[in-house]
Order: sequence, then structure tokens, then C-alpha cells
Amino acid sequence: MSGTLTRPAETAATPSGPSAAQARPASRGQALRRHLGNEDLWTRATAPVALVVLVIVFSILNPRFLSWASLTSMLADSTIPIVLALGATFAVTLAGIDLSLASTVALGSVTMGLAYDAGLPMWVCAFVALFTGLVVGAFNGAIIGWGRIPDFIVTLGTMSLVMGVGLITSQGKPVQMPDASLSFVSVHGIGGIRYNFLIAIALGVLLHVVLFHTRFGMHLLAVGDNTDASKAMALRVSRVKLAGYVICGGMGGVGAILLTSYIGSSQPATNTDYLLRAIAAVVLGGVSLFGGRATMVGPIIGAILLTFLQSGLTLLGVSAFYSPLLIGIVVIAAALLMRGRK
Amino acid sequence: MSAAKVEVRDVRKTFGSVEALRGASLSIAQGEITAIVGDNGAGKSTLVKCITGLIPPDTGDILVDGSPVHFSSPKDARDHGIETVYQDLALCDQLSVWQNLYLDRELTRGFGPVQFLRRRQMRSEAHRLVSDLAVNVPHVGRPVRRLSGGQRQAVAIARGVMWARGMIVLDEPTAALGLRETAQVEGLIRRVVDAGQTVLVVSHNFEQVKRLSSQVWVMRAGAVVTGVRTADVTGEELVGLVTGAITAV
Ligand SMILES: Nc1ncnc2c1ncn2[C@@H]1O[C@H](COP(=O)(O)OP(=O)(O)OP(=O)(O)O)[C@@H](O)[C@H]1O
Ligand SMILES: [Mg+2]
Repeated sequence: MSGTLTRPAETAATPSGPSAAQARPASRGQALRRHLGNEDLWTRATAPVALVVLVIVFSILNPRFLSWASLTSMLADSTIPIVLALGATFAVTLAGIDLSLASTVALGSVTMGLAYDAGLPMWVCAFVALFTGLVVGAFNGAIIGWGRIPDFIVTLGTMSLVMGVGLITSQGKPVQMPDASLSFVSVHGIGGIRYNFLIAIALGVLLHVVLFHTRFGMHLLAVGDNTDASKAMALRVSRVKLAGYVICGGMGGVGAILLTSYIGSSQPATNTDYLLRAIAAVVLGGVSLFGGRATMVGPIIGAILLTFLQSGLTLLGVSAFYSPLLIGIVVIAAALLMRGRK
Repeated sequence: MSAAKVEVRDVRKTFGSVEALRGASLSIAQGEITAIVGDNGAGKSTLVKCITGLIPPDTGDILVDGSPVHFSSPKDARDHGIETVYQDLALCDQLSVWQNLYLDRELTRGFGPVQFLRRRQMRSEAHRLVSDLAVNVPHVGRPVRRLSGGQRQAVAIARGVMWARGMIVLDEPTAALGLRETAQVEGLIRRVVDAGQTVLVVSHNFEQVKRLSSQVWVMRAGAVVTGVRTADVTGEELVGLVTGAITAV
């Protein structure tokens, strides 16, 4: 055995040469077996399988459920839940939670309304909403990261604080925004699939790349998994947390823009249902509530699943009063299922 | 004895009312294996963390290669080529073996601030490196949570060895290992030293200390009470020094 040890490649691009080719970590057969025995696979399969089952059941009960018009309108309805679930995924991956997400949507729509009233161009109004979300996220992240206060308490406080600011600045009155360019993304689309849904999917792809293909993403997973180990490996834990919550808040801002586009006015009253559905979608999507383990596809499918469930029940003539009850049951069932997989 | 790689002078550290270190001093010779022994709670891990930048000492000086250093993060120690295998291993359970090996030292490609991970390259490099280290690390794509205690320890050791550029600090590296794996790790430590690096090892295993080290420091109640050349001391004398039954050889 030689006295020298092999070195890992230095950060610059070092061609790995023939050794990389030899390093086939395992044969295909082994990989497949490992994959099937993998509990992650089952966690990840829950939401897609449930979605397929739900679609089959509802379309048997009412064939109109699967018509193109109904399908595209349900996908459009799932836009805001998807965007908020994407944001919530970042908080949950950090082993945290953002309870202020729904009130961030409300505040974002209020600030957007203020900008509109001030006569600013629509793209600036949209930017104001996004910026509002980013600021709320930064506030949460800074207090959680440096104040070392549990995320639950911080965002509970922020939820009320943000709600209050929204109500005070708007006096509780919605601002009408009759603007064709604003409603454009909610009305038009490609082949019936609305632009708002496509935007949500594009954001999902972007955030997937951020989480799984960047250093920041890897650090976020590590911090969510084990804060002490992350510190020992010299990760800047507070900064990573800050960035995670900024992304989460930013998605709240995007949610505000899409909501305003959808209903054509600001909405100062917080719709707590948004928060519930975002967290539910994340849990359904197989993201670990203990942090460190996430997917982006899962929460998207989870959000679509919850929207389809609600729309399907409406189509069947079930009273809307039943939908919170059902969503609650689905969330707890999903959480129990995932716990078994820990 | 050769020049000192690290010198610790009168380092103190208190946690609230606990005096973990009450004036610890020792030196670690360049290119040697130095051991620290002592009972549970003697302050060994705290001293290690002070040396590697994880805990800032309250007072006292630490010199690396003859010049005083004030590490405020393990990154500073790393920049001096010092790697650490912590007693708690500092692994992220949900991340795979290769992700743990490359954490905070990821290989990326891209333009300017837009950088993407070279996942495939890190994976295959990790595989090649751990095979070369001849420690019992399983498939590098597996999440760490599915490894046995000994395998986890092997991952942490592999990470330390693969990045060390001058010195490696190991806090009870073979605590969870079987006989064969312990021998492998000892072989690896010897290779590291043969390659010219310095090793500091904390161990409760006096046989191991006798087998491996050239110098041994004894800690008791937050202080370094004695330091001897390992060749000049028997296993029984080491036990006596640790318990305080004897104070010098
Ligand atoms: N983060 C901390 N907060 C409070 N007290 C601590 C902390 N770390 C260590 N201590 C205390 O400092 C003392 C020394 O601990 P240390 O971990 O350095 O001992 P050790 O010699 O490594 O013991 P062992 O052989 O059990 O690993 C102990 O009394 C411990 O309780
Ligand atoms: Mg210890």
C-alpha cells in the first residue's frame, strides 16, 4: 500500500479520468432492488396514487369530472395552493413551519392594492406584492435564525402582526383592480391550461433545481436535518434559515399576485384555509416534518389532490361545509401514514 | 521530538456554572500521533472543540505552526488543513453518504453566481475515495440513517481523512467499531501519519493508545495533568494516571 492517500478533486474542474468510469457504484439489478425496498418510494408514491384513485372514483360518480373544461378549471384553482405549498416546503424542510403564510398573502394583496391606487404600472404593483412577501419572510427568518426562538412561536406572532398591518393599511376594504393585464394569466392559457397554473409549475421546477442542484439547497437540507452537525461542518445556519424563510415568504407574495389576478381585487381578510391547505399538501407530498427530507413534486401533487377533492365534492353536490372536515381528516391520516415511515 | 504543530496554553472554558476546562495546556508534535486520555467528563471533547474552532475558548492561547490563531468557526481550522471527526460524528442522517462527505465542499459548475452541483462526479469520486481508504463504508448513495453505528463512524472518519491537509483530530474514532474495523482505522491513521500529517486522537482504549501514539496527555477534571512519551509508560501506569492513583511516572 502506498504511503500517499488519494485526494478528492479540488474545487476546480478536474477531469475524473478513467476512475470515474470504473466507479459504477452498483449494478442495475441491485439499484432496482434497493429502490423497491426503499421506504422513500412509498412515501413519495402516496400523493400520486391517492390522486389517481380520487380521479377514478370521482369520474365514475360523475363523468363530467374528467371533462377538459372541468380539469383545466380545477388545475387553475390549484394554482394558489401549489405556490403556497412550494413555499411551505422550504419552512418544513428546515424542520420549521410558517404559520404567517396565509396572512402574508392578504398583506401582499393589500400592498399591491395600495400601489395600484397610487397609479403605479401593473408590473410594479406585482413586484410590490412579491417584495412584501420577501420582507415578511426575512423578518421571520431573521428572528428564527438569530433570535433562536422556535419557528412556531415566531410565525404565530407574525401571522397576527401581518394580519393587523394588512387590516390597518387597507381599513379592511378591498381595492378593485379592473386591469386586463392582471387578469390575463388567470383567464388565458395554452390549450385551455391557464397561465397561472403554468407559472406555478415553472416555479416548482425552479425551486426543485434550487433545492437539489445548488449548494444552498444541500445546506438547507443539512440544516433542517441536523443543526449541530451543520454547525460542526461550518455551515452558516442562521443565514440558511433566513434564506429558507425568505423563499417561503416570497411564495406568499406570489400567492398574493395570483389571488389578486384571480379575483380582480385585493383581499385584506386572511383566508386561513390557505395555510391549512399548504401544510396539508406538504405533508401529503411526503416532506418530512422533522426536516431534512423533501421533494418539490410531492407538495405540488398534494395541492392538486386537495383541490380536486374539494371540487369533486362540490360537483357531487356535497355542501362546502364538509370540505374543512375532509381536509382535516386527510391531513391527519397522511401524517399518521408518514410517521410510520420515519 | 519534532516541532509543535499545535500548542495549547492555559485554555479555560466554562458552560454556565460548569468549568469544563480549567487551564489546559499541551502540545502536539508535527508528524506524530498524539493521544489524549481521561475519564468521562474530563474535558477532552471540549478541548478538541476549542482546537478545531467549534467552541471559542474563554481565555488562553492556541498556536498552530507556531503562530497564535483565533478560530471562530470550524472553517478557520479547515483553512489551516485541520479536519475533525467529532465524537457525535456530525453527520446528517437524511443525506446520503456522498452528500455528507462533500457537505460545504461541494463540487459545482456554472457561471459566476449561478452554480450547480456536480452530483454525479461527487458520487463517483466519493465512491473511489472510500474504496481507497479501505474502511467499511457502504454504498455512497445510501442515506446515513440506514447505516449501522460502525458504518456511520466509518463515514465520519472517511470524511476527515479525505479532506485533512496537515492534521486530523479524532474524538473516540473507534468507539463503535468491531475488532477488524478498529484495526482498519488504526491502519488508516498510520497511513495518514506516514504521509506526513499530524494526528490527535482521543481514546478510552489504553491498548490502542499504546499501539498507536508517540505521546500521551492525561486529562482530569478540566486540566491536563501529565504528558508522557508513550514508550515510557505501561498500560497500568496510564490507568493510574487517569484515575489519579499516581501523579507521575
Ligand atoms: N455544551 C455544553 N454545555 C454545558 N456543559 C457542557 C457542554 N459541553 C460539555 N459540557 C460539560 O463539560 C464537561 C466536559 O465535557 P467533555 O464533553 O469535554 O468531556 P469528555 O472528556 O469528552 O468526556 P467523554 O469521555 O464522556 O466524552 C462535562 O462536565 C460536561 O457536562
Ligand atoms: Mg468526549
